[in-house]
Amino acid sequence: MECVVQGIIETQHVEALEILLQGLCGVHKEHLRVHELCLKSGPNLGHVGSEVRLLCDLEHPEPWTVKHVGGALRGSGAEQLSVMVRNMVESKASKNVLRLFYALGYKLDHELLRVGSAFHFKRGARITVTVSSINKMLKLHAIDDTVPVTLGIQVVEVTAPATSENYSEVAAAMSSFCEYLAPLLHLSKPGVSTGVVPTAAAAAASLMSDGGGTTL
Amino acid sequence: MVKLTKTLITVFFLLLKLDNKDVLSLFRVLHWQPNAGTTVNTQILNEVSQCVESINGVKEGRWKATLTYYKPMLRDQSQAPELPRDFLGISLPEQPNKYYFIIRGQRIVLEADSSIQTIMEKLQSYKSRVALYFEGFQYQLGDFQLRVGKVTPTHSDNLRGIIMEVEYLPLSSLEKSRQVMEEFVDIWQEAISKRSLPGHFMHIEPSFVEYGLSDHYSSQHTAVQYATVMAQLIATQSVQAARN
Repeated sequence: MECVVQGIIETQHVEALEILLQGLCGVHKEHLRVHELCLKSGPNLGHVGSEVRLLCDLEHPEPWTVKHVGGALRGSGAEQLSVMVRNMVESKASKNVLRLFYALGYKLDHELLRVGSAFHFKRGARITVTVSSINKMLKLHAIDDTVPVTLGIQVVEVTAPATSENYSEVAAAMSSFCEYLAPLLHLSKPGVSTGVVPTAAAAAASLMSDGGGTTL
Repeated sequence: MVKLTKTLITVFFLLLKLDNKDVLSLFRVLHWQPNAGTTVNTQILNEVSQCVESINGVKEGRWKATLTYYKPMLRDQSQAPELPRDFLGISLPEQPNKYYFIIRGQRIVLEADSSIQTIMEKLQSYKSRVALYFEGFQYQLGDFQLRVGKVTPTHSDNLRGIIMEVEYLPLSSLEKSRQVMEEFVDIWQEAISKRSLPGHFMHIEPSFVEYGLSDHYSSQHTAVQYATVMAQLIATQSVQAARN
């Protein structure tokens, strides 16, 4: 299970966001370059179709990560939260995991390359913030031949692992943290489109002129 | 004669202790091949265990591995796409946080975290068809650790086979340890043959290279050996069933 929110930011403001994140989290950014393959079950396999994601961190090519993202938690309690709580299971796996899933009857639906940075820290919960451009490949598995899906825009994702016992506390910790990012971007549940915030340019300029600011 | 054999075995293991360089170990998995017209039974298992103890094997505790055959879940049973019928998963006692998938026909082996089982359950595309336990006692014998075990379905005590896992602790190179392992197995085969049991232990070495595995031994090699043993047990029982 995990809590998650997403938002978008213009590429020109990413540096300011990273300065802010570094100040807030107290950690250095890690380079992010992840090849993500989304596989779907072939026709007739399974009583309902299924989807699985395979992630290869190109900075550390082994092991791969197998990820299954399930449905969002339902009910009035979950819906009132400002973050999405959803089922999610991950497993590390050796490098021939793609070959295994192909052999099991799964097909590649789409693949993309995420390039950017990641921040991992603890602030009431174990939070991860990624800031990345989403790129599509011009040829199959051609990670060196990509173009951005949306030029000039990067995706920000904030996630934290949770359990059925503690997701409320994790959601509260995430929401509290996300408020600090509000001048630069608006974060919301995946699937809820918000666009860029009008204060982003001014906030970014302030952060850049401040030369990093202070750790909050 | 028995005393001389025991002395030779003790000296053999003492000499091996002098060559302890590496820290990872290597496994060889053997299975009991009953003679034509005979079947495996618990008396044979007891005799094997006693034989290990007779060559100074020190009983240490129990062990258990699990092997599961998976079948694809099809929406339309009349349409059977080309999906593997030899897709299996294995949990090994020496790697409690890992799970291994194998598709023998395509020479695929995968090592993953145990949580991969949860992912497979969520996907609902494959389900467990039959699961088997490999379980018994393990013994320490110098630089070797032996595991003797029965093979039974998880919901039954019906004995399907007997296996023996020989772990050589000092080395992890297949090539470097080959001679040592073969010498041990020769000693073992001689010891067990004295009990005049209706069968013998067999080892069929899989082609690890075909699975993309290196000379450096790993738990993936062990998983492949278990899959190979299962294929042999099934083949043996198919032949016996045809005879009956």
